[in-house]
Amino acid sequence: MAQAFRRKGTRIIAYLDQIERETLSILLEQTRQILEPPAAPPGSDDAFTQMMEAMGMPDAEAPAPRVEPSAADRDPALGRLLPRAHRGDDEIAAEFRRLSETSLRQRKVGNLQVAIDALAPGPSDRVDLDARQAQAFVMALTDVRLLFAERIGLHTEQDVEDFEAAAGRAGDEDPIQQAYALYDFLTWLQETLTQSLMGR
Amino acid sequence: MAFALSTEEQTERSTSTTQVLEPELPWITLVWNDPVNLMSYVTWVFESYFGYPRHKAEKLMMDVHTKGKAVVSHGPRESMERDAEALQTYGLWATFEKDT
Repeated sequence: MAQAFRRKGTRIIAYLDQIERETLSILLEQTRQILEPPAAPPGSDDAFTQMMEAMGMPDAEAPAPRVEPSAADRDPALGRLLPRAHRGDDEIAAEFRRLSETSLRQRKVGNLQVAIDALAPGPSDRVDLDARQAQAFVMALTDVRLLFAERIGLHTEQDVEDFEAAAGRAGDEDPIQQAYALYDFLTWLQETLTQSLMGR
Repeated sequence: MAFALSTEEQTERSTSTTQVLEPELPWITLVWNDPVNLMSYVTWVFESYFGYPRHKAEKLMMDVHTKGKAVVSHGPRESMERDAEALQTYGLWATFEKDT
């Protein structure tokens, strides 16, 4: 049975049982896979070609256009995890995406990996984080909850209330009840971690 | 297009050195409400990223929550792009635009 995150000196510690850690790890891993930057087309992005181009070598291979999945292929959850950064100007939004998306994805993937590593199977239920790990963990939990909410269509506060009400009416074995219990667990865990980071 | 944009950035940089003569319109970073991010978490992000004191961070969070959005920083375009990117790393729904 889970015990909330609490600050103990410089550490932030929670206790999660094996099933809780495994469930959380699976969700973190799924989120990580969605955010992993798409593979670059071969030969265009490697350091050697870039160096040749930078030196202006005439026979350097022309850079292949980076393969961006078309809007239709893009996972709709990415619209929330990596939202459009300018409302109203497509060109500015596209420019921002071109310049920042890879680094944004890398930082999110890095945070998710810190959380996955912190939950690695061990002899104890203790999840013991330093300040840097705790920050990565709370950001990773955010992305997991954002993805979860997108997948089940929680776009407004009313959607969340309806989800809670539907779960309340459903029986214990109903998938909606189980989905709500999981979302509620993630929310509770993130709340206690945030409170610990804020020194409350 | 890349050339046109870099020319624009150059112009912005040179005007910023002569701000007294020709002040540039500042840009802003906005955070939009969403049903997922926790009130405590949004407050923590404003504290830890901007270094805002708790009361200011809480006021901005409440603006996001009750008004649907809040302007969380002002400045030149490059700084606002940096803020929007950082806040998106935290998972907030952040955008930037020219102040009007």
